[in-house]
Amino acid sequence: MSERVAIIAANGGLFDGYKVFNIATAAAASEKEVQIFFTFEGLNLIHKQGMHHLEMPEGKEHFAEGFKKANVPSIPELVEMAQELGVKFIACQMTMDVMGLSKDDFIEGIEVGGAVTFLEYAKDASPTLTF
Amino acid sequence: MNVSKTIDATGLSCPMPIVKVKKAMDTINSGEVLEVLATDQGTLSDIPAWAKTGGHTILEQKTIEEVLYFYIQKS
Repeated sequence: MSERVAIIAANGGLFDGYKVFNIATAAAASEKEVQIFFTFEGLNLIHKQGMHHLEMPEGKEHFAEGFKKANVPSIPELVEMAQELGVKFIACQMTMDVMGLSKDDFIEGIEVGGAVTFLEYAKDASPTLTF
Repeated sequence: MNVSKTIDATGLSCPMPIVKVKKAMDTINSGEVLEVLATDQGTLSDIPAWAKTGGHTILEQKTIEEVLYFYIQKS
């Protein structure tokens, strides 16, 4: 079994954040090596300000109460935990250029890379997940 | 059963119980037993799956007044 999990985060809503960081944190807690490639809207999930204001899908706002009731950690808390467990964050250089973002716009500890960087890592990963 | 360490993950939801279990397991020695308290029903399948991944053994699992107890022996 592969000891490596590769995740592509291509969407930037609140639900997307939970999908990405829950799986990443669980995998890292199971002794897997984990790398997340953030591209397009996915960059929102590690954006210094953006990550604090992730939106629910339209019409699903009523789930806010459920999140509170289930005592689900916040996205910034999950991000911190993921990093603490050694999950590596790669921000897509091309998307950053398109959106006019620099490394300073993102949380500490991320790396910037291109598609080939991620593919090289993902070739030995199982599973590779896309959100 | 000789319990080396106990962690309380009651009230926490996925993936927090697993993260707490992982961190606690890192602090005990091979052969020692970790006691875990949880209320997230997902842990009923998640903690055994996690233990299997790491080669650890679930010695006992019981439920008392809606609290789930797990006894995990470190590999």
